[in-house]
Amino acid sequence: MADALVLRDLGVSLADGDRGFALRVPELSIAAGETVGLTGPSGTGKTLLLELLGLLRVPDAGGVYRLCPGDAPERDLTALWTRRGRIARLRGRLFGFVPQTGGLLPFLTLSENVALPQRICGRPDPGLVRDLIDRLGLGPVAGLRPERLSIGQRQRAAIARALAHRPRFVIADEPTAALDPENAAEAMTLLFEAAGRTGSAVIVSSHDLDLLGRFALTRYRLALDPDHAPGRPVSRLVAAEDGPEAA
Amino acid sequence: MTLLVTLALRALFRDWIFVFCNVAVLAGVIVPLLVLYGVRNGVYDALIGDLMANPATLQIDTAGNQSFTPADLAEVQGWEDVRFATLKTRSLFDYVNVRATGGRGRQEALIAPSGTGDPMIAPLPGLGPDEVAVSPALATQLGLSAGDGVEIFTQAENRPRQLVLNARVAGVLPPGRLDGRVVMADIGLLDLIEAFYDGYALPEHGIDSGKPLADRAGSFEGMRVYAAALDRLAPLQDRLETRFGVRTLARTAEVTSVLTLGRNLGLALALTVAVAAAGLAASLIFGFWGEVVRTRRTLANLGLLGLPQWQLSLFPVVQALVTAVLGLCVSFLLFRLTAALAERLFETGLTERGGLVSVSPAEALAIAAAVIAFVGCASLAAARAALATDPATVLREET
Ligand SMILES: Nc1ncnc2c1ncn2[C@@H]1O[C@H](COP(=O)(O)OP(=O)(O)O)[C@@H](O)[C@H]1O
Ligand SMILES: [Mg+2]
Repeated sequence: MADALVLRDLGVSLADGDRGFALRVPELSIAAGETVGLTGPSGTGKTLLLELLGLLRVPDAGGVYRLCPGDAPERDLTALWTRRGRIARLRGRLFGFVPQTGGLLPFLTLSENVALPQRICGRPDPGLVRDLIDRLGLGPVAGLRPERLSIGQRQRAAIARALAHRPRFVIADEPTAALDPENAAEAMTLLFEAAGRTGSAVIVSSHDLDLLGRFALTRYRLALDPDHAPGRPVSRLVAAEDGPEAA
Repeated sequence: MTLLVTLALRALFRDWIFVFCNVAVLAGVIVPLLVLYGVRNGVYDALIGDLMANPATLQIDTAGNQSFTPADLAEVQGWEDVRFATLKTRSLFDYVNVRATGGRGRQEALIAPSGTGDPMIAPLPGLGPDEVAVSPALATQLGLSAGDGVEIFTQAENRPRQLVLNARVAGVLPPGRLDGRVVMADIGLLDLIEAFYDGYALPEHGIDSGKPLADRAGSFEGMRVYAAALDRLAPLQDRLETRFGVRTLARTAEVTSVLTLGRNLGLALALTVAVAAAGLAASLIFGFWGEVVRTRRTLANLGLLGLPQWQLSLFPVVQALVTAVLGLCVSFLLFRLTAALAERLFETGLTERGGLVSVSPAEALAIAAAVIAFVGCASLAAARAALATDPATVLREET
């Protein structure tokens, strides 16, 4: 299977007054349809890494971030930032996002929310919308606005929406953090299952090692360099052993 | 783009209270201004209309016994502020007797000079050498209508025979222009009468005795001039007086006071509009901007899903424009109601014509366009704020 997303020596640096933070990704590749789990304690840059992957954050110069579709020429994604006009469209087509909470538009019904990415990409597929809604057990509430849904229903709706336009990659940032353990496990299962149906790769972050431990994933871990300058932590991505481990 | 508009509208009407607020603010400012503007138009148009109803409003007469030549007339006719000018014969000989041809009754009437383009005889283009126009009073008293023949009699103490001129009635003047019995004739005909008084022979009119007409110098006592427009009356009067060193008579004071009133009302209105617009702009700019700040998660979400930033920036603009259109509809509706109420309150009627409160369709359209442009501009700050939306905040911020 051809590698689909390739990162090498890619970094992001944040600075905010005297506060600084840097993330280093020595090597990361995400193949089509792969499931990737990202762990690490709070504040180690999990969200930042997902932003970097999702074309939401400008990488530092010099690194490699490439899209390698099996059937088309490679594409240098770092070059996109020089002409930002196209980023949003590409991001919309390539990725689906499951935020930590909500992310649904309050003025659209659940099914309209799910169908929205299809409309934005100009690829309507009402059948898939219905199928996703049914699979995620949202059929009875499909016509309701998000405010009338439970937190669990909203998260499942967000999962359906992230997959509706058959993105090649789904980026899920602590998608179950707001749910109780039972619902969390169920939502995670549904996410992987549904992604399997649309053929999307999933990159999911979680600080809940027990939960991630239950699934077969390619694991990565973010950890702070022990010898960083004071007030300027550097976090580094490392491949992790399979199975639960201490943070 | 359609998607963007649909989404903007869905978002807008979910927060209908916000729409209602802005529409109320718009209507609260626009309706009073429309009424003020309408009243200004209504009153001013009524006053101007009263003035313009009579072409004599634009008339300037030289006073006293002066001497004007046809060359003087030609000069004045060349001035751009002049709509029509004619010479006048001596006012001593203004009175004639008129009889319908074949009729019995004779009436004494004033004879006044006219010519081609004279607004007093409009819509008649002009009068031929043996044509006259008669005032409604004279027409009634002699039973005259267009096409009838009349005889015009002039007697002079020093002449053994009276002068009889035959003419055809080209038309009866509309009511309200000239009071009393008046015959309007081409200046040539009046000149003939003056020559008769001055003792010249007019063989083709049966006056054989007298001085030969060829010895007569072409000089006229006065001139009558009509200004091209109300606001040209005062300057034209000044110019005539300086050029010929004469005094003139015109209704300049009346005209100027109405024009000044119109100008002052316009200024007062402009000032009111400026103050109201400033307040409205502040209210709208902060309203739209605050709305973008409040709904920035929505915008960030749309950005995350792939809508480019420039489209996000149109989001508040679309909402503002729709609000403007709604505000205008409500405003014009309330304006119509207010205007109807005002007409009823002032039922004595300042005018016989038209409404007291008047805004023409063209003006309404211009006002609507101005309001839409204004509201669109007020939404630009919000558009800027929307342009700066960071889609990453959806992942980062807690709801
Ligand atoms: N503008 C900034 N300047 C400096 N550091 C920042 C800035 N924004 C975030 N950070 C730091 O970046 C780190 C990574 O944050 P985040 O990606 O949210 O971590 P996680 O998702 O793993 O909790 C945090 O330690 C935070 O303090
Ligand atoms: Mg995070």
